[in-house]
Amino acid sequence: MASTPKPSRIQADERGLLEAAQRDPAGFAALYELHFDRVYMFIARRLGKRNVAEDLTADVFQRALANLRNFEWRGVSFEAWLLEIAAHAINDRAKRSGRGLRVEDPPEMGAEPDLSAVEQGAQLFRLVNSLPEDQKRVIVMRFAEQESIRAIARRLERSEGAVKQLQFRGLECLRTKLDPRPARRPGKDAKSRPRGGKNG
Amino acid sequence: MDKPSFAVQLDRAVQRALSGRAAKRARLDERLAPLLDIVLRLRDLPRPQFRADLKSDLEKKALAAVRVEALPAGRQTAMPYLTVENAAAAIEFYRRAFGATETMRFEDRGKIGSAELVIENSTLRLADEFPDYGSLGPKALGGSPVKLHLCVADVDAFVERALSQGAKIVRPVEDQFYGDRSAQLADPFGHVWIIATRKQTLSREEMQRRWNKILIQELEKMPGHDPIRKGFRTITPYMVAQDGRALLDFVKRVFGAKESARDVGSAGGLHAEVRIGDSMLMIGGGLPGKEFRATPTTTALHIYVKDTDAAYQRALSAGATSTYAPADMEYGERSAGVTDGAGNYWYIATHKGPRYVPKELNDVNVYLHPLRAEPVIKFLQRAFGGHERARYASPDGIIHHAEVQIGTSMLEMGEAHGSYQPTLTMLYLYVQDADAVYRNAVAAGASSLQEPADQPWGDRTGTVKDPFGTTWNIATHTGGRKPA
Repeated sequence: MASTPKPSRIQADERGLLEAAQRDPAGFAALYELHFDRVYMFIARRLGKRNVAEDLTADVFQRALANLRNFEWRGVSFEAWLLEIAAHAINDRAKRSGRGLRVEDPPEMGAEPDLSAVEQGAQLFRLVNSLPEDQKRVIVMRFAEQESIRAIARRLERSEGAVKQLQFRGLECLRTKLDPRPARRPGKDAKSRPRGGKNG
Repeated sequence: MDKPSFAVQLDRAVQRALSGRAAKRARLDERLAPLLDIVLRLRDLPRPQFRADLKSDLEKKALAAVRVEALPAGRQTAMPYLTVENAAAAIEFYRRAFGATETMRFEDRGKIGSAELVIENSTLRLADEFPDYGSLGPKALGGSPVKLHLCVADVDAFVERALSQGAKIVRPVEDQFYGDRSAQLADPFGHVWIIATRKQTLSREEMQRRWNKILIQELEKMPGHDPIRKGFRTITPYMVAQDGRALLDFVKRVFGAKESARDVGSAGGLHAEVRIGDSMLMIGGGLPGKEFRATPTTTALHIYVKDTDAAYQRALSAGATSTYAPADMEYGERSAGVTDGAGNYWYIATHKGPRYVPKELNDVNVYLHPLRAEPVIKFLQRAFGGHERARYASPDGIIHHAEVQIGTSMLEMGEAHGSYQPTLTMLYLYVQDADAVYRNAVAAGASSLQEPADQPWGDRTGTVKDPFGTTWNIATHTGGRKPA
């Protein structure tokens, strides 16, 4: 696991942002940036469809903005408040649309949401942004925009083989960043080490 | 090198994951297995565009919230304060008719000294009349110059309710060109309310375009109110000669002018109107044996004919003197010049093109010879909204030829030189609003000879002389009888 800031520090920073946004709603953008990935992940992993997940994510942040003044800092974190709004939104949606909506994991109100899975997903989304530009573009087009390898190759003016290679390297890079321990790839690593030594 | 095959193998797994099929983990190379977990989680990767769009949407909503917050609840910067004859009854009416809520009432000796009403998100105040303090309602004053504008969600329903409570229609509910659907109501106390629902949000340009179109349609619907007399253009030369009949005979003989009106003019002489092609000429002057009080004019006219040489010959035989014999000009015309017995200059021309008249000019065009053209052009722009259409100047700054369009006419000019000297020209100018154009002309430096007044011939006409010697009769045709 990559190191994450200590919870107390997150809370202190977040509290400042939150109180600023409560005084001036224009500060809400900073809170949005901080929580988007987790709220989206929370919703997306329960709902199969991307467009429904987007609708509900928008709904959650709009409700949060409208009710920002009502949020009181009483032990419950802002994130927990957002996820509670999200859980309500998912339930409302499920009730309204009846069988039209596929809820893979209907949240039970009051039950603790699986926050570690949400956090891991959100962390992965953030790591995508830290990839080298060409890898990042392929990963975003392939997974977020669900483009075919052929379409991506055309847009990037690269061969399909090159795009597959970039996809592989991007995923490999994400894996390394998620778990920085050396992979069990003795042959390759062993070969590359002496070369580095010679040069250094 | 086995990496490319890794990439291909991995993409097959990605393809299966994205299309919702279970990944065949068992078949996967063990080194790719940890990547498959990432692939499965990346299926939920949010679209960056969605993330950015939602952020900008939230920022806009947050800003709008800040703007509303800037006003204390229930207060706007400008608030109407109505005076009404019976404030208590008015409050009751506004409550029933407009859904107002009374939030404050202050009484003063049995009358309402001040009350506050809230209609949706707006507050207004009202009070009874207090004549001692000069505070009177619209009934006592014979109307109110201030209208109240209510923006409502459903103008039709709102108006229906107001009417059922005793409001009267001033203008019925209609879609307006500026994008609102609105009506005007008078309440029983004499205040007028505009009730509107925004249907379309239009740019200022679009509103102006729509309004101009409506104006043109309105004008076309009223043929009796054409500000230009039928058959006339914006500018008509008005030539006055000591012997008016001789001038009239000259234009008939040489240019085939058709007389359309003849009367005794205001100066006690002849007033005649003749048509040459698409243009009119007004001719005035003395008659034998009658006293004539007007000052003769001299006019230079650029007149197009089918055969310059023939017209030139007719002019000479009618007593004109030649200023220049027919010749082909470098600007695409065959042209000749004559001066008639009254001292007017005639530039006779035949255009070498599809027609004998170039398409931007008329059969008869007034030509001016000012000492300097620039200030004349400026004056025409300011006084009459003239548009400069052409200018030919030499490097030393002399303007040899310029054209200024005013309404449906073109005024031509070339700076005075040699035998071409300033003329004493008089023009009859038809405009939409003679009074306004008269004021414009005076403001632009013309001196008034006569303020606009209704004339017996059916025009409202005022007269000015511009600083360059041209007299302008500024007229709006108001209908009525034919010219005297």
